[in-house]
Amino acid sequence: MNYSLPQLPVEFYSAASPIFVLAIGSLIAMLQSVIGGFSRPLAVKSVLHVTLILATVLGLLDLGQIDVAYLEGTFLSESLARFGSILVLLIALVVSMLFSSTFLATNFFRGEIASMYLMVVMGTLVMMSADELITLFVGLEMSSIGLYALIGYVQPSRRSMEGAVKYLVLGAFATGMLLYGFALLYAGTGSMRISEIVVAMAKVGDHPWVKVGGLFTLVGLGFKLALAPFHLWAPDAYEGAPTGLTAYMATAVKVMILIVTLRFMAEGMNHLNAVWMPGLIFLAIASMILGNVMALVQSSLKRMLAYSSIAHSGYMVVAICAIGFHSGQLPVAAVLFYIVGYTVITLGTFGVLMWLESEEADNLQLDDIAGLAKKHPWACAAMATFMFSYAGFPPTVGFISKFFVFNAALTSELYSLVIIGVIGSMISVFYYLRVIMKMYMAERVPSAATFLPNRSILVCGITGLALILTFAFGMFLPDSFMISMKETSQSVITR
Amino acid sequence: MEFINQYILSFLVFFPLLVAAAIMFSPTTNVARWTAMIGAVISFLASLHLWYYFDPQTPGLQFVERYEWIPNFGISYFVGVDGLNLLLVVLTNFLTPLVLMSIWHKNDNRQKAFLALIMSLQCGMMGALVALDLLFFYVFWEAMLIPMYFIIGVWGGARRVYAATKFVIYTVVGSLLMFVAAIVLYVLHFQEFGYYTTNLLDLYRVTVTGTTEGWLFLAFALSFAIKVPLWPFHTWLPDAHVEAPTVGSVILAGVLLKMGTYGLLRFAIPLFPDAVSTFAPFLMGLGVIGIIYGALTAWVQKDAKKLVAYSSVSHLGFVVIGSLAIIGDAMSAEALTGAVYQMINHGISTGALFFLVGIIYERRHTRLLEDFGGLAGIMPWFAVMFIIATLSSVGLPGTGGFVGEFLILLGTFQASPVAGTLACLGVLLGAIYMLTLCRRILFGPVTKEENRVLKDLTPLEFGYLTPLAVLAILMGVYPNLFLYKIRPSVEHLAANYRHYRLVAVENDVGADSDRKVIGQAMVPRPADSAKSNAPESKDSSVGAAL
Repeated sequence: MNYSLPQLPVEFYSAASPIFVLAIGSLIAMLQSVIGGFSRPLAVKSVLHVTLILATVLGLLDLGQIDVAYLEGTFLSESLARFGSILVLLIALVVSMLFSSTFLATNFFRGEIASMYLMVVMGTLVMMSADELITLFVGLEMSSIGLYALIGYVQPSRRSMEGAVKYLVLGAFATGMLLYGFALLYAGTGSMRISEIVVAMAKVGDHPWVKVGGLFTLVGLGFKLALAPFHLWAPDAYEGAPTGLTAYMATAVKVMILIVTLRFMAEGMNHLNAVWMPGLIFLAIASMILGNVMALVQSSLKRMLAYSSIAHSGYMVVAICAIGFHSGQLPVAAVLFYIVGYTVITLGTFGVLMWLESEEADNLQLDDIAGLAKKHPWACAAMATFMFSYAGFPPTVGFISKFFVFNAALTSELYSLVIIGVIGSMISVFYYLRVIMKMYMAERVPSAATFLPNRSILVCGITGLALILTFAFGMFLPDSFMISMKETSQSVITR
Repeated sequence: MEFINQYILSFLVFFPLLVAAAIMFSPTTNVARWTAMIGAVISFLASLHLWYYFDPQTPGLQFVERYEWIPNFGISYFVGVDGLNLLLVVLTNFLTPLVLMSIWHKNDNRQKAFLALIMSLQCGMMGALVALDLLFFYVFWEAMLIPMYFIIGVWGGARRVYAATKFVIYTVVGSLLMFVAAIVLYVLHFQEFGYYTTNLLDLYRVTVTGTTEGWLFLAFALSFAIKVPLWPFHTWLPDAHVEAPTVGSVILAGVLLKMGTYGLLRFAIPLFPDAVSTFAPFLMGLGVIGIIYGALTAWVQKDAKKLVAYSSVSHLGFVVIGSLAIIGDAMSAEALTGAVYQMINHGISTGALFFLVGIIYERRHTRLLEDFGGLAGIMPWFAVMFIIATLSSVGLPGTGGFVGEFLILLGTFQASPVAGTLACLGVLLGAIYMLTLCRRILFGPVTKEENRVLKDLTPLEFGYLTPLAVLAILMGVYPNLFLYKIRPSVEHLAANYRHYRLVAVENDVGADSDRKVIGQAMVPRPADSAKSNAPESKDSSVGAAL
C-alpha cells in the first residue's frame, strides 16, 4: 500500500501554524526538564512565552484570510476559529505572565507543567478550529485532561487536589455525554462534520437518535460551560485551582465551548427548535438565577466569581437562544462581544487577586479584603471598577455587552428570558457591591490575611490594561468592535 | 460666543470630570480644595452663560450637540436644553460651589477622594439632565449612582453601608426594568421605521399601543417613581438622607431626586401618552398619598434630618401630581409650570434645610429635636436663615414654595378636585410639621445647658446660606424671572403631550434674528427619507408653530 501525505496548500500551513508552534514549544518544554541546566524557571519561562507570543503573532498574521475547510473538515480556517484562537492565545499569554510574578512562579515554570500548559492551549485551538467531531473531541480532551492535571499539580495541596478530582470526575462524565451525543448524531445523520450534520437536521431532525444525540451534546456542552444545573464542579474547581488557572478556566475554556456551541447553533437551531430550544432556555434561566443567587452567600472570592461566571454564561446563552429566532449576525456578534468583555473584566479581576495573593493567603475570603482600600487604593479602585463592570454599570464594557445581548434577545421577542436576566442582574448588584463595600466601607478584620503584594510591573500593567479596555470597550470601541464581531460571525451564519 | 455656545453643554458635562481627575492628582488637600472650587465656579458661570443665551421664545431644544457614538446601533451622543431642564442645569451648578464651601474646613485624609466624587457626581447629573439620547441618558443615570454610593457608604453615619446599599439596589431595580423597556422601544422603532436609533426625538414618533404601552410606561414610571421617590417606593430615602453626610443629603435632595420627576416629564409622559392618561389617576393617587403620608410621618419624627427627609417625600408628591394633571386631551399648563418650578424651589429650600441641620449637628453632634430649643436667642442669624428656609418649604406667599404649590394646586383642581383638595390638606400639614420643627429648635426655653454656648453662623456658613435664602425669596417675589424662560417648553409639552414632537433650534447669539430650525434629522439617514413622510409633515407643522 502506498501512503502519501495529502497535498495541502501553503495557506493551510500558515493557518495551522499557531498549533504547530504550540506543539513544538510543548515538546521543547518537555525536553527541558530532562536536559540539565535548561530546566531553570527562567529558561522554561522564556520558551513558554516565546512560544505563546510566536503563536499569537502567527495567528494575527493569518487574519483576513478566506474561510476554507481542510482535511475533510478536521481543520477549519475561518474567521470564528481565528477569532477564538487569538483570544485564547492572548488569554494564555496573560495568564502565564500573571503567574510569572506570583509566589507560584517557580512551581509553574517547570518543564512538564509548561509543556502541559501549552498542550492545553493547543487542544483548545484544535477544538475551536475543527468541524469534524472526532478531531473536536480530541481537542477537547487535550485541553481538559491537561487542565485536570495542572489544577492538582501546580501547587499540590488538599484543596487543589479536591478541585482537580471533582473537575476530573464531572468533566469525564461530561465528555462521556458529549461523545455519546456525537455518536448518536452520527448514527442519525451519517456524518461526522458539524456543517453536514446541521444541514442533515432539516431532513432527519425528527429522528429520535438525532433528538437524543442533540440533547446529549447540549448537556455535554452545558457541563463544560458550567451552566446550571450542570455547574456543580465549577465552584470547587475554581476555588481549588491556583488562581491563574482559575482565570484560564473562567475565560479560555468558556471561549472554546462557546465557539463550538455557536458552530452547532448558528445554522442548526432553525431545525432543532423543538429539541434544543426549550433545553437551552432552561439552561439560561437556571444559570442566571442559580448563579446569581448562590453567589450571594459565598464568602470566598473565587467561589463567588465561579458562581458569577455561571450567571454570565447564562447571559451569553440568552443571546444564543436568540439565534434560533432571529437568524442574523446580531445575536452571534453579541455573544462574541460579551465573551470578549467578560474576558477582559475577568482577567483584570484575577490579576488583582494574584497581585494580592501570597503563599499564606491563596484563597482570599471576603473578610480578608475588608478595609483594604486605605492600604492599597489603586488595587481596590481597579477591583471596584471590575465589579461595577460585572454588575453592568455604565460606562464600562459590562453595560454595553449586556445591552447588546438584551437587544438581540428582545429583537427575537424573548421577553421572559430578558426579564429573568434583568432580575439576575439586580441580584448580582448585591454581591458585586459587597466586594466594594468590604474594601471601602468595612474595617479591617484582625484575623484577615496580611498582604505583601508584589510590585511586579507586569501584573500592574496587565491589570491596568484590563482597566483601560474595560472603559474603552464601554465607551469608545463598541462600534468598531461590533462591526468586526459581525464580520467574524459571518462565517458561522453563511457557511 | 458662537464657539462657546456650540460646545457649552459638553463643557458642562465633562469639565467636572476633568476637575475630578485634577483633584485626584493634586499634591495637597488644599490644592484639591481650590481646584474643586475654581472648577465648580467656572461650571456655574458657564451655566449662567447658558441661562443668559437661552432663547425664551421657542419650545425647541437649544445648544444641541450631536455626535455619533455607536452609529451601527443608532446610538449617539446627543445633548440639548429646553425649558424642562434649563433650570435644573443651573440649579445643579449653583449648588456645587455651595456644597464645596460647606466642607471647606473639613479635615479628613480622604478629602481629595470626597471632592473628586462630588465633581464626578456633578458630571453624572449633568449628563443625565441634558441627554436626549435614551441610551446615553441611561449611561449617566446609572453612572450617577456610583459616586453617591461612595459618598453615603464611606462618609456616612452609623448605618451607612445599609443605607448606601439600599439606595443602589432600589434604584437599580427600577432602572434595569427601564433598561429593558428602552430596548423594547428601540426595537419597536426599528420595526416601524426600519432603522435603529435611540434618539429621543425619533423615539417620540413610535406608535406603541395597548398593553405593550402600558408595560413600557410602568417600567419607565417605576424607575422614576423610585427615584422621586413616590409612595410606596420611598423607603430608601429616609435611610439615605439620615446616613448621608450633609453634602450628600443636599445633593440628593437638591438634584438627584429631581431626576425622577424630570424623567417623568422628559421620557415617560411624552413617550407613552395613552398609558399616561390611563395611569395618571392611579399615579396621582400615589402622589396624594405620598403628600399626606410624608407629612404625617414628618410630623412625628424626633430626628430633624429625618423630618426634612420625609418632608421631601411630601413635597415631591406635589411635583408628581402637578406633572400628571391631565384635563381632557392636554395637561394643565399651570400645574406643569408649577411642577417644574417646585422642583427648583424644593432643591433650594430643602437644600438649605439640610445645610442648617448639618450646621447644628456639627456643633452638637445630635439631631434630635428634644436636644434643642431656644436657639433663636443664641444663634440669631442661624434662626433667620432657618425661618426663611422653613417658610419657603411651607409655601408662604413671598417665597418660592408658594408659587410652585399654588400653580400645581390650581392645575390639579381643574384636573381632579378630589386630588386637589387632599393635596391642600398636605399644604396645611406641611405648615404644621415645619413650624413644629422651627418651634422646637428655635423657640421656647433653652432646655440644655450645652446649647447656651453654641456659636452663631461663621462667615463661611453665612456665605453659603445667603445665596439660598436670597434665591428662595427672589423666586417668591419675582417668579417671572425664572418662568419666562421655561414657559414655551412647558406649554408646548402640556398642549401636545399626546403627539409630542421636539425640534432642535440653532442658537444664534443675536437671539431672535434668523433662527434656523435644524429639524430632527440633523444627521441625514438614508432610511429615513423614504419612510418618514407622515411624521415629517407633523414636524414641519410644529416648526411653523414656532
